[in-house]
Amino acid sequence: MSDDDRYNDHIAAVLQECPGADRDEVKSAFQKYEEEFFIPPQDAIRSIIRRFKSESDATPSTPKAGGQSNRPTKKVSRLSELKADDRDIEIEVEIVSHNVREQMIRGESKSIAFGLLEDDPWQEGSGERTRWEYKDWGNNSNITPGSVVRVEGASVNEYQGRMSLNINQSSRIAVLREGSRPVVAPGEPIDIATLPNDGYVCVVGRLMSSRADQIHRRDGSGSIDVVRGRLADESGAIGFLSWEPFEYEVGTLLKIDGAQVKTFRDTPELNFGRTTKIEPFHDANFANTDTLKEGMISTISTLRDGSKDVEIVVNITSWEKRTFTKDGEERYLWSGQIADPTGQCRVSAWTDLPIDDSSLPMTVRITDARVRAWQGIPDITIDREEQITVLEETPWEGELDLENLRIDVPLDELVAGPSRVGIATRGTIVSVREDSGTIMRCPECRRVLREGQCFEHGAVEGNEDVRLRLVLDDKASTCALLISKDAALALLNTDHATMMDEIQANGSMAYVQSIRDMLLGCEVDVTGRIINDGQGAMILCDGASFTEADTGLIATELRAQWGLQ
Amino acid sequence: MGVAVMEPSRQIQRQPAWTMLASEFGESTLNEKGSGEFDPTFVITKLGAKVNRVIVSGLVERLELRETSNGSQMYQGQLRDPSGLHYFSVGEYASESMREFVVQLLDKVDSGEPILLSMTAKARWYQTDEGAVYTSLRPEEAAIVSRERYASWLVRACAATLERLDQHQKSLNCEPTKEAMLKEGIHPKMVDGLLSAQTHYGQIDTEGYRLNVMQALDIAEGKMAAATTAPPTLNLSEPQSEDDASAGEGEELQSVILECIQAMDNGEGVDFESLVRNLAARGFTREQSEAELDTMSDDGVLHEPRFGWFKIVA
Repeated sequence: MSDDDRYNDHIAAVLQECPGADRDEVKSAFQKYEEEFFIPPQDAIRSIIRRFKSESDATPSTPKAGGQSNRPTKKVSRLSELKADDRDIEIEVEIVSHNVREQMIRGESKSIAFGLLEDDPWQEGSGERTRWEYKDWGNNSNITPGSVVRVEGASVNEYQGRMSLNINQSSRIAVLREGSRPVVAPGEPIDIATLPNDGYVCVVGRLMSSRADQIHRRDGSGSIDVVRGRLADESGAIGFLSWEPFEYEVGTLLKIDGAQVKTFRDTPELNFGRTTKIEPFHDANFANTDTLKEGMISTISTLRDGSKDVEIVVNITSWEKRTFTKDGEERYLWSGQIADPTGQCRVSAWTDLPIDDSSLPMTVRITDARVRAWQGIPDITIDREEQITVLEETPWEGELDLENLRIDVPLDELVAGPSRVGIATRGTIVSVREDSGTIMRCPECRRVLREGQCFEHGAVEGNEDVRLRLVLDDKASTCALLISKDAALALLNTDHATMMDEIQANGSMAYVQSIRDMLLGCEVDVTGRIINDGQGAMILCDGASFTEADTGLIATELRAQWGLQ
Repeated sequence: MGVAVMEPSRQIQRQPAWTMLASEFGESTLNEKGSGEFDPTFVITKLGAKVNRVIVSGLVERLELRETSNGSQMYQGQLRDPSGLHYFSVGEYASESMREFVVQLLDKVDSGEPILLSMTAKARWYQTDEGAVYTSLRPEEAAIVSRERYASWLVRACAATLERLDQHQKSLNCEPTKEAMLKEGIHPKMVDGLLSAQTHYGQIDTEGYRLNVMQALDIAEGKMAAATTAPPTLNLSEPQSEDDASAGEGEELQSVILECIQAMDNGEGVDFESLVRNLAARGFTREQSEAELDTMSDDGVLHEPRFGWFKIVA
């Protein structure tokens, strides 16, 4: 079918609306829309009619913006404000207890939750908290003891003068603070990997290591003897700290009831105290020490800030002595880079180790190490020489390509995970922030200056730098993206001087818009590291490029994948 | 720990942008808003996406400067992609750079040049007193793009739509609970939205979305001939102002409404939104259709078996 034929009906429709229009002009308009803009005639037709209609009638029928629907929700902060017949209530409460029981309702067995809740969960009021019973008919899984929730759409129930709250099936529960004291059924052991970050638990695990330690009181009033160690099951391993004497042999299988989980930095730890019940446990099928040991060996990608007793096999790729002065005394530590197939990070040693430049890269096993992280980069700390064993060869095959050691991780996984280095990911640029382009940095601390002022060092003569501050989205996940100078200039295909000239010529707002014109809505591949500190994720990017994509090919693949003909 | 009062964690986290075709967004009639001052609002689509922000692309079909009732200025426009239209507005609340952008855009649109835009925008939702729901967009950032960038966005929007169709299909195969959905392999980020969507929209016909995707893929592949369909009926090219809606038109509208309901009623009536869309496709404005539906209900020609669903009185 020729274009002429294909457009015939569309052209006729335009001519009917715009009798004065020239047929050939209308046709070439359709061609232009299609060829230059990928807009098929049925979609272009309104725009074309608009163009050919000389007079612009400006009475469009767009929906008017604004306006709010007001549901008659009764919003209260105290339970005492409620009356017996109130419905559709909204209130913030702390859940005190939560129990579930089966109840027969119209011949059907349903599980109904009930318990106690208290108002004024943030203790903003001065008086006593009021406590009510509640029933949850909606089987809300996010009601847990200790949590603070906003209940929306609840109603009051009064029975013989006693008021209680009904959480209905249509009610919405928004968790404002996760339960800080989850109550796990006592005596019911749970997998180490699924332990909560907080609360009392029961676990069954094999004792993997144990050593006596001392905690020094901050006020200098002495020290406390404690035992530290590690416990493992097939799901994972966790460190523990016992405040009571603990004399079990490594390898013993233990059932520990009433241990308290506390989370230090990103790492949970079990605390055993006076009320913790520890007893040997018998289960012939429980994984043996060797099997568990293998499962406990970390990789760089699994290191977490605050981890202890870490065992890992890595290549040391650089090693240098760093001196510093503390209390007027010159001291030193060793600092290096390590790598394994999952990534790269830092290592620090407070003791001399048999490592020298000429033997690098060198494969070592590090045991009992602790991990600190700075700006998302883990740093393994070695305190004693016996923590490292030099290995003949790497347990993995082939050389590590340090330049290009990047682990591809989907953005949604990165955003949900911890801080890590050496990652590569892909997403769509959905925002170019106004402070992209050139910035001034403090010569002391590299902080970005605001109106010539450093947050730390006051008014200073700044150093100019280039960076892009963007937002990268993919699959309903979002992440800030900071692109450093070289990578930014490469992505924009420009240089620092040209950028300066353009900003001076047109102003920074126009320049940011020009970056937007280049980047907004584009898919990019980025490399770098991600910092995820609970305030939202941020990628510090050292390389970015437009995703090379043949849209026709992708379209064809999509058809094949989803069976669209 | 026990002594210190924990600060409520109420930091506002940025909401992600969904890559979405106009039809899925425009057909949404469900919204969700927490009651906290800074709680985000969401438009929940039939496929279960909980949308606070979108990244969309298309042809600028119209852009006009309007005075609002309080005397401030507002730019209103339409963005067309292969599946339908987005309505957007840029007012005084928009960022300086967005306002500057739209001022310059208006000049280009007025010159008659075709313009493809990509924009990141916040989802807006509005309900009339009668219960009709409109969605619209408030652009945050926008850029004029090439046809290649448009095509690349199209395939990503198609991929995202196909994935949502798949998730939606999976949600039909399991119990409407969080646990069952996660077990079925539904993405945790989709579960809430799918549960709400199922309750609100009930059974939906997803064939339209599939057709939209195929149409968009044809375009992305450059198969323009395949992507061409008959010209839409547009006797109404420009909506009439309400005063012009003469009695004659009213009668015509009435017969069209009856025709539509007859054709679309599968027993439980036809919902307001579908009706208005169909009437819009035949050139009647929402206002006209809404007014006529009211009149016809009052006259006893139509009845509403349940709110927002119309049936012809037998």
